[in-house]
Order: sequence, then C-alpha cells, then structure tokens
Amino acid sequence: MTVLRIDKLRTTLRLGGRDCDALREVSFSVAEGETLAIVGESGCGKSMLAMSIMGLLPAVARISEGRVILGSRAIEAEPESRMEKIRGAEIGMIFQEPMTALNPVFTVGSQIAEPLRDHLGLSKSEARKTAIELMERVRIPAAASRFESYPHEFSGGMRQRVVIALAIACRPKLLIADEPTTALDVTVQRQILDLLDTLQEQGEMGMLLITHNLAIVAGHADRVVVMYGGDVVETATVRDLFRAPGHPYARALLASLPRVDRDLSELASIPGRVPPLAMLPDGCRFIDRCPHAMDICNRMPPTVELGEGQGHTVRCWLHVEGGEHAADG
Amino acid sequence: MTHSTEVKRADRKAYKPGRIAIIIGATIIAVVLLAAILAPWIAPHDPYVQSMLARFRPPSAEYWLGTDRFGRDTFSRILYGLRITLWTAAASTALAMVGGTAIGILSGYCGGRVDRWLSAANDLLMSFPQMVAGIIIVALLGPGVTNLIIAIAITAFPAFYRMARSAALALRDRDYIDACRVLGYSDTRIVARHILPETMDDMIIIATLWLATAVRTESSLAFIGLGAPPPAATLGGLVREGFDNLLDYPGLAIWPSLAILVVMIGLNLMGDGLRDANDPRASA
Amino acid sequence: MLLTVDGLKVIYPVKRGWPIPKTRLLKAVDGVSFTIGAGEALGIVGESGCGKSTVARAILRLVTPDAGSVVFAGTDITFMPLKRLRRLRPKLQMIFQDPAASLSPRMRIGDALAEAIRVHDIAQGAGIDELVGSALTEVGLSPEVADRYPHEFSGGQKQRIGIARALVFSPELIVADEPVSALDVSVQAQILNLMARLKAERGIAFAFISHDLGVVRHFCERTAVMYLGQIIESGATREIFDAPGHPYTRLLRSVSPVPDPEIVSASAVAEGEPPSPLDPPSGCRFNPRCPFATEMCRSTEPELRPVNGRHIACHHAETLPPTGDNRVR
Repeated sequence: MTVLRIDKLRTTLRLGGRDCDALREVSFSVAEGETLAIVGESGCGKSMLAMSIMGLLPAVARISEGRVILGSRAIEAEPESRMEKIRGAEIGMIFQEPMTALNPVFTVGSQIAEPLRDHLGLSKSEARKTAIELMERVRIPAAASRFESYPHEFSGGMRQRVVIALAIACRPKLLIADEPTTALDVTVQRQILDLLDTLQEQGEMGMLLITHNLAIVAGHADRVVVMYGGDVVETATVRDLFRAPGHPYARALLASLPRVDRDLSELASIPGRVPPLAMLPDGCRFIDRCPHAMDICNRMPPTVELGEGQGHTVRCWLHVEGGEHAADG
Repeated sequence: MTHSTEVKRADRKAYKPGRIAIIIGATIIAVVLLAAILAPWIAPHDPYVQSMLARFRPPSAEYWLGTDRFGRDTFSRILYGLRITLWTAAASTALAMVGGTAIGILSGYCGGRVDRWLSAANDLLMSFPQMVAGIIIVALLGPGVTNLIIAIAITAFPAFYRMARSAALALRDRDYIDACRVLGYSDTRIVARHILPETMDDMIIIATLWLATAVRTESSLAFIGLGAPPPAATLGGLVREGFDNLLDYPGLAIWPSLAILVVMIGLNLMGDGLRDANDPRASA
Repeated sequence: MLLTVDGLKVIYPVKRGWPIPKTRLLKAVDGVSFTIGAGEALGIVGESGCGKSTVARAILRLVTPDAGSVVFAGTDITFMPLKRLRRLRPKLQMIFQDPAASLSPRMRIGDALAEAIRVHDIAQGAGIDELVGSALTEVGLSPEVADRYPHEFSGGQKQRIGIARALVFSPELIVADEPVSALDVSVQAQILNLMARLKAERGIAFAFISHDLGVVRHFCERTAVMYLGQIIESGATREIFDAPGHPYTRLLRSVSPVPDPEIVSASAVAEGEPPSPLDPPSGCRFNPRCPFATEMCRSTEPELRPVNGRHIACHHAETLPPTGDNRVR
C-alpha cells in the first residue's frame, strides 16, 4: 500500500521579485514498510521537499503545482490548523538537531505523553504508561526512572531516541527523518539507524530518509531518489543505483566517495558548484557541470525508465532514444 | 551560500525590519540637528537678552512660543538649549564608547585575572542607579559643561564595556582569531585589525540608543540643578525654569519637554531600527 | 622526524554542580605520543570528546599543554614563549573545519593573504601580489578573486582560500582539523584531491584530524585512533582498517558506513556511548563497552605497545579472535 505519493510537485519561491522553481516535477511514492532515501548535496531541494510535504514552507515559498497525497488524501492545500493535526498524528518527524523538537523546560516523559493525550485521547495514567513503553521501544535504558528527566540530562544520541519516541507515539503512517544522524558520532549513528530500521519493520510505517550521506543510504534504505537543483534526477532501488547509476550526476557522486574498506587512487570530483536558486538553468540543471552536456540539455529532460518494470528511472537526455538529435527535429 | 540561506534571507527581506523606523528616526534627528547647528542664524531673538517689557508674553508672531519671566524668547532658548544638550549627549556618549570599547575588548580578549578585576570594577559602577551616579559625580567634580560630560560618560560606560567585552569574548574563541594566531600575528594586530572592526557595528547601535539616555540624564541632572550653570540654556534647564511658573504659564515647561520628547523618540527609533536591521539573524 | 609529540597532556578545569560548583579536572588529552615524518600524513581519528581536536590545538599552542613535549623541526615548542614561537609559525600551519569562520569576514581575500605575507616579511611590494596570485592559482582559484569578500564564496572555495593562506608560507606541516567534514561530498573530493597534490608535489606533512574513517583511509599513510584522551591503536592506515586490532577500532570500523549495498554490515552493534572524559572508567577506558573485557581490563590500564608491526593498547591484543571479514564477494 502506498503511504505517500508525490505527484509532479512544483514548489515556487519568490526571490527578489522573481519566481524560481525550487522543486520541479518531483514525483515518487513511499510504500508501507519501505524506506525511501532522498539523497543530494546542499542546494538540491531535499529540505524544501520535506517542508513542502509537512506544510512548513517559509512565507516566500508555495506549492504551485502537483499533489502531496498522504494515504488517500491530498494534503498540499490543507490549512495550517489541519496540518498541525496531521503532523502530530499521521506524519512523524525527526530532525538533525533533536533539541529543536524538544522543550528544555519540560520533562522528557511529559513531552512524549503530550501527543498521546492530545491525539489519541489517553488519560494521564494511560499516557504515562504508554510513554514509558515507547521509551523502552527506542531502547532508552531505565526508561521508567528517566521519565522525569529533562532533555539536557540526556546525551545527543539519547535525545534523538526521545525524538523518535515522540515521532512514533501516535503510530504514524509516515516517518520523515531529515538528516537524523548528521550531528551524531558514527557509533551512535549506527545505533539510531538500526533502531529506525527495527521500528519501521514493526510498525509497517513508510519512512522518508532525507540525507546527504550516500554511505548510510546503502545500508539502510530500500529505494533512493537522487535530487539535484530541485529535480529528481534518478530513482532506483539501492542495489540498482550503486551497481548501475544512470544519471551523470549520480555517477559522479558515487565516484567521489572515499571508502573505508578499500584503497582508491583518486576521488572523482564534480567541477564547479550548484548555481544559486535564481540562476538555475531552465533545462537540465546539471548542464554546467556535466561532462556529457549537449545542445538539447537546454531543454528539460524527460523521465526515462531503464530496464523493465524495476522502477529505475533517470531524468537525462542521454537515455532518450535518439536524444542527441532531438534538438534538430 | 546554500539555497536554504538564500531562502531564509528572502523570507526575512519580506518584512524589512527596521527600515521605516530608521528613516523616520533619522529624519527627526536630521531636523533637530540642523536646527541646533543653525540656531545662531535661525533663532529670531538673542536667547540671553532680557527684556523686562516683554515678560511672560503668550505665543505670538514675534515670540513664537512666548517669553519667560526675564522676557527671553522661549523658541530661541530651545534652539540654543538643543545645542548644549545635544553636544553634551554626543560628547559623553563618544567618550563612553571609546573608553568602554577599549577597556571592554581588553577585558574580554585577555580574560583571566584582568577580566575578573575589570568586570568587578564595572559591576560596582553599575550597582549605582544611573541618576545617583550622575549626581555623585557632578557633585564631586563641580558644575560646568565639561564635568557634566564626564559624569554622563561615566554613567554610560558600563553599557559599552559589557557589550565590547562580550563581543571580544565571543570572537576570541572564533576560528578566525585562532587562524590569526596560527599565522603568527601579534595580539595588538589581532585586536586592532580583527576584533575591533567586528565590534564596531554593535557599538554604534548602542551609541545611538545611549544618546537618548544621555539626553535624558542631562535633562534630569539639569532639572535638579546639576546641569550647565545659568544663564546657559539647556533643555532640562528650561523645563526647570518653566516649572517655577507652571500653574500660570505652563507653556514654559511644556515646550522644552516636548523638545526633549522629540529628540528621544528620534534617537530611539533610529537605534531600534539600526539594531533590527543589523540583527545577525537578518544578515547573511 | 618533523614533529615529535611525547606524553602530551592537556587538562582543563571544569566547574560542575549547583548551587556550589566544584572544580574538576577534565583530562582532554592524557599522555599522547606520536611522530610525523616530512611529507607524511598522520590521521587522528575518534569520536567527539576523544581529544583529537585538543591534540591539534596543542601542537599549534592554541592551548598550552600541561605535560609532555611537542618538538617541531628539532625545536621544542611546548613551553616556548609565544613571541618567539611567532617566528616559527609560518612552517606550522592549520586548516580549519569551518572555512567560513576561519576568515575575517570584513577583509578582502587578497588583503587577508597579503597581511600574512607582510607580517612575516616574506615578500615586498609587487612581490606580495605575485605571491597572493600564485597561491590562489595553486589552489585552483583565479587570482582575480583577491578583490572579493569571504561571503561571496561557497564553502569549498572558502576552504581553498584557507589552504592558499597557509601556502603563502610554504609550510612544512599543516594541521588539518576536520577540513572536509563541513563540505558536500563532491566538494570534499575536490579538497581532498587538492591536499593530496600538495602533499605529493610540495612534500607538506599533514596531521589530519577526522571522524570519517573513509576520508582518513584515502588521505593518510598512518593512523592513530583515540578514545577518551588516549591513543589506543596506531600504525599503517591500511592495516588498521583492514584488520583492526583494538576492540574499539573494530567497533569504529564496523559502524563506519560503506557506500555499497552488497556489503552486509555486521548485524548487531553494542548499545552504549562513550563515558564522559570527566570520570573515565578505571583500568582500560574501553572496558565497559568491550565484549572481550576481563578482570585485568577493569583494574589495570593497558599501555600502548608494539603488536604485529603496529601499536595497540589492549591486554589481549594477541589473543583476540581475528576480525571477521564482513565482505560478501
């Protein structure tokens, strides 16, 4: 079952009196029990995408086209009051910095119990019992005795566990994890990712793992969406992406990763940088940095399916039959 | 610069913090300043010449705001009063800014024992209410504009000291100060070239806000008789003089009070506006 | 040896407690010894709080060591008066983690570089501009950027500028504290390649502090692994990462994500986080998290000793089971 479907989403920003597309024709879906990773470097639009889904766009941005369908309901035009309910109960959120989601002056336990009472209507004692169960599920040691602790008494990893408990409290269908381990050490990062894997399998949630780190995608996601400059440039299963990346950007990105398990002679690097929003090209947005750029790349490339029914798609003219000549015709 | 910072910046630009406040405040201050500077040319009468024939005149074409008990033109006296008041405020604030910034940076950059002693001394100074401190200092130094400036400067010192100290403390741990050390720069060079310029924005904003406080302190001191000695006209002094005949001729106290109010509003608008516009969250 | 660090200790007094704070001693670096030869890169790895950055700062005398010695190019600089040390500074440079924070925001790039040249009287008059230009060219920037301010550059470009500023001195050793961890992967590759070129062509030695094992493997010939203020394993990078000896190195290696979905990572990871360096455990500091810990580990602190051509601080280094090869071929 599909938990989240994004359909031709376009998010427009008003910058200096001009409209720029921060996201263009973004489409993908997350199935129940699936982890979909959104990968890209800074400026690729992954945060804008998360904000578009959650209805947390800044004042200068708006969704100008397309749909965000959660379960079977379109939510892209819901008013803020409804979105607040949806965010608490149907979408769980985990951020890079756990303290942004926690209130320093309330105990950890009361913060986990609050949504249980608000959204599920549990009584005070029921909420407390459930909150302690949740803390145990996210493997906070001695959960019952730490119910009354304050966030500052927890380490970074433990705080992130609290945020996760908070996010799964109302059994959401969808969990959005935006760079959930970027601020953490590798050993703790691994613990948190393993925890997310387990929880997601148990709860049959769909998870959107937004990250810049391709290495953790390899171990913890089922499918990957690679973004660049606000476009989805490639969608594939993790295996397909790492074995046979189709888009020149995805290829270059994979080749630029240093590896802990083997020696590489030289890292491939992508020349240049992501252009500023207002200067993003109309056609393929990777055109300035692409070694294969052609004339036709000045037009927005279509999404092409590679292989048969594997769901491996690439948005690049290189994969269009006769694409090199399309510009002439 | 990543796209998210671009977005944040655009988002804030939409609100234009402080822009209007700065414009209004600056206009008021410009007008007031111009009036003060041009006082000898635009004042319709000599502010010090007494005329027993023209005592307590109501406002008229000749005496725009009337005359006082010695027959001196109130409007001219307010214009001249602005001169002394603004000069006192500006000079004392400048003095406090230079002293406070220098000692504050020294304190914050050196840290350790130097910082502890200087901070303790500053706390002692701050423990006096501003007016009380001003009164004590003027009483000790004696009357006169120069002493008044010194007294007000001393009461304003802690604000600048604290700001400069905390700025220097924060900068001291910044990477680029470490970078300067690694590059082998001397402490003098680091402070003069890399810390001082970074604190200047903040110091100028506080200076604008403290100008208003200095105007108020000057007026208050003048009101209780510790201002510039008569016959010099200062805004606070005029209010005090007007007070003697408040019930019969309320205008004599009200007009200079209004002048003080206008100056303070102008300075505060400008200071607050500058502060908002310079908010680190609003700049890149 | 270009740099010899011997028995280095850095202790910070920390005030903790309320309402009456007690001063306690935080041994950020507790007896660290290593050497770096000319043109060699030593990686110092570990998680946050292990003291690796403090080691970097102590080498550069940004903090004064409490014990031990730092000998650079035959000169003992441990307690040398800072005024005299200034003359040695040009040969011992640093690159910072946050390239934005390491440049004076109000100074044009060219002025910042020229200031460094003037202070040390390296060139005069037109020679200064020439040197600035050549340093910028060497790091892959055009000499025209000298007229611009730091905020006009991207993170990667700023890091290049930071490197250029160090290069005007022709340094012999560069201490690089997490130089690429704030950068996107494709840019990270650019900077790593640049530094590798400087190492090869100019024979500059590096002390390379990082939490990212992949980056260290790519850049450093030798590696020292730190845990709670001490080096617990050191030796040739490839050997350490292919067959980690110390149980902590094994943990670190197994949780470091590998960008390859074909590699099944070790399944269960021990829960737990490093204890606070304020009260490290007695005996071996890793014993509470170590699966191989014995009574001896809890009582006696192991010394860093030679084992099979490298150094390991573990009582059982010789008898531990071989590391499982977790690659799937």
